[in-house]
Amino acid sequence: MSLPDRIDPRPPRRIYRWDLDKTYLQTEFDSLRDLVRTAFQKAHQKVAVPGASALIRELSENGDSRLCIVSGSPKQMRAVLEEKLKLDGVRWDEFVLKDNVGNLLRGRFRALRGQVGYKLPAILESRVHAPVEAEEVLFGDDAEADAFIYSLFADLVAGRVDERVLSQVLEAGGVYPDDALRVREAWKKIPVGDPVRRIFIHLDKLTPPAHFTAYGPRVVPIFNYFQAALVLLADGHLTAPQVLKIAVEMVQTAGHNIITLSNSFQDLLRRGLPLQQAAVALSQALEGPNKLLAAMRPMPDILAAFSKRLAALGTPPPPPPVQAVDYVSLIHHALPRNHKGRTKPQ
Amino acid sequence: MVGTQPQPVTIAFDVMGTDHGPGEVVRGAAMLSLESPHIHTLLVGDRTLIDDALAETKHNGERISVQHAADFIGMDEKPGEALARKPNASVAVAARLVAEGEAQALVSAGNTGAGVLACARHFQLIPGVRRAALATVYPTRSVRGAKGDPFSLILDVGATVEATADDLVTFAVMGSAYARIISQNERPKVALLSNGIEPQKGPPRVVEAHARLSEMKDIHFIGNVEGIDIPKGTADVIVTDGFVGNVCLKMLEGVHDTVVELAQYAYKESLRWRAGLAMLSSGIQRIKDITDWNQYGGAPILGFDKIFIKAHGRSKSRAIANAGKVAAKVVSNNLGAAIREGLKK
Repeated sequence: MSLPDRIDPRPPRRIYRWDLDKTYLQTEFDSLRDLVRTAFQKAHQKVAVPGASALIRELSENGDSRLCIVSGSPKQMRAVLEEKLKLDGVRWDEFVLKDNVGNLLRGRFRALRGQVGYKLPAILESRVHAPVEAEEVLFGDDAEADAFIYSLFADLVAGRVDERVLSQVLEAGGVYPDDALRVREAWKKIPVGDPVRRIFIHLDKLTPPAHFTAYGPRVVPIFNYFQAALVLLADGHLTAPQVLKIAVEMVQTAGHNIITLSNSFQDLLRRGLPLQQAAVALSQALEGPNKLLAAMRPMPDILAAFSKRLAALGTPPPPPPVQAVDYVSLIHHALPRNHKGRTKPQ
Repeated sequence: MVGTQPQPVTIAFDVMGTDHGPGEVVRGAAMLSLESPHIHTLLVGDRTLIDDALAETKHNGERISVQHAADFIGMDEKPGEALARKPNASVAVAARLVAEGEAQALVSAGNTGAGVLACARHFQLIPGVRRAALATVYPTRSVRGAKGDPFSLILDVGATVEATADDLVTFAVMGSAYARIISQNERPKVALLSNGIEPQKGPPRVVEAHARLSEMKDIHFIGNVEGIDIPKGTADVIVTDGFVGNVCLKMLEGVHDTVVELAQYAYKESLRWRAGLAMLSSGIQRIKDITDWNQYGGAPILGFDKIFIKAHGRSKSRAIANAGKVAAKVVSNNLGAAIREGLKK
């Protein structure tokens, strides 16, 4: 980075927003025992989802992006979470944690588990300070309300959701009036644009992908971060060598192999993502001057497996039609799990 | 060995042509992808139908792949003619993929004849095996092996109508190897089905097979058994030819159906009988659990160099998943090598 850039850094071209638990970290909080264990874990005991840190590092390699983390973990865990991110070589620009003690002291019990009233104002306020032209990619999981909140955020910024629908959603989502006010105030300050390119939902609970169909093709449920890397390659956020590096890390550290990677590739093709060229790009990357990648096994076998998986599908069916998102009817996706209005995923 | 991860195994599933439609097979494979991390499934059939069913089902996409096959063979079609007309039927494509090494075993709940014929065209017979044997499992009164398996294995039940003494000996070796692997039964009791327990009872081929099996030290041959011994579980492996085996199997199924119908009749007919059935309900439930073929999954076609597990046409997802587990277990324990070893002795 040159001296002028250090004094007055260039505005980010891309913003990557991440959730933490179950998106970046393999966190268990489904029972009280899990919650207690998670709370007392040290940084080195926390485990990242395979490929997540490699993906973040590769995305930041391009030097024109910001990493914004908004997590439902309590503020008291900041030190240990930051230490974990540093251990993984992840550098962040913004790190927002939930003030659960504050909520408790103020008797805001709905806010303890509610996500809409916490995450939506947080990411809207963050967007206020972003350059108009900066595009966004968001990462969440299927344990909470990420698909709903991220999609609503995208459509609010794009002007596709009106005040009436927003009011209905905030009311149905049990959002406290001061948080609702923060949402409206931040929203008014954001210039209308359409910056959100992708919303990745890590299928930590293996929710069936059709559960997310209502949010349209912008939301991509993923079984692993190799799948996210492939889509980001097709979208122009990553290069083929960067994707290969992520795959290599997953093979070397998380037990992935030719079969799991090629199945992951085909899984996305079957869901209609235009990745036919990805295998070609990866193949070219291996043939290129990067000898380190060319020497790594079993990458060439993976490409052969990709080609087979691609050929196995025959002629692709036509893509699904684009549809508007009906947030009022989908609000039950965003309510805490024991809420009466929430329907269980199939 | 404790702590070692099982080797990955890929099982091809013929998704089409079952009584309950492709959804049940897809759900079974999805179940398998969640329960058994080392088992990968290759679903062969209509891509659109498979994708639609998968999208609605909890599964692990890292462990499932799909091979599109536009055609399939229905239950009521004649296998030879249908395979000739539809070379790209799902069962034929699946058998070809197994032969080419894309998967290590095939599971099908479709047309049995088409499955056997597809395997015969794409797989090789193990050296020393003249004819493949279609096996079935039958619930018995006694249990066997480390896992308390209540099923005995009967072979052949239809593939080789007129078996020679050679064939019967081969069936005994193959059945014994299979029972050793699947029931975790170190020394499965093997018997010949005949019309009397004496060695000289039965047609000449059975008498000759008896004499030869008696000489084989690696087979725990207990002699002849009669039909009455099948449900008793006297033997773990019952060897017969396809004609007798099929008649026997159909009769046993008929007895089961008749007992169920009689119980239903009794339940409707009289309050006293209904009360009696209610008092027996826990026992009846136990019998139902023991005889639930869904827990077994499927039965093998023995004799080929590749594995084919034939699941029942009415299989629901649990039975399909179990058939996949049986197939993976057979592959992992290298049944082919065990049969080859047995035939050498």
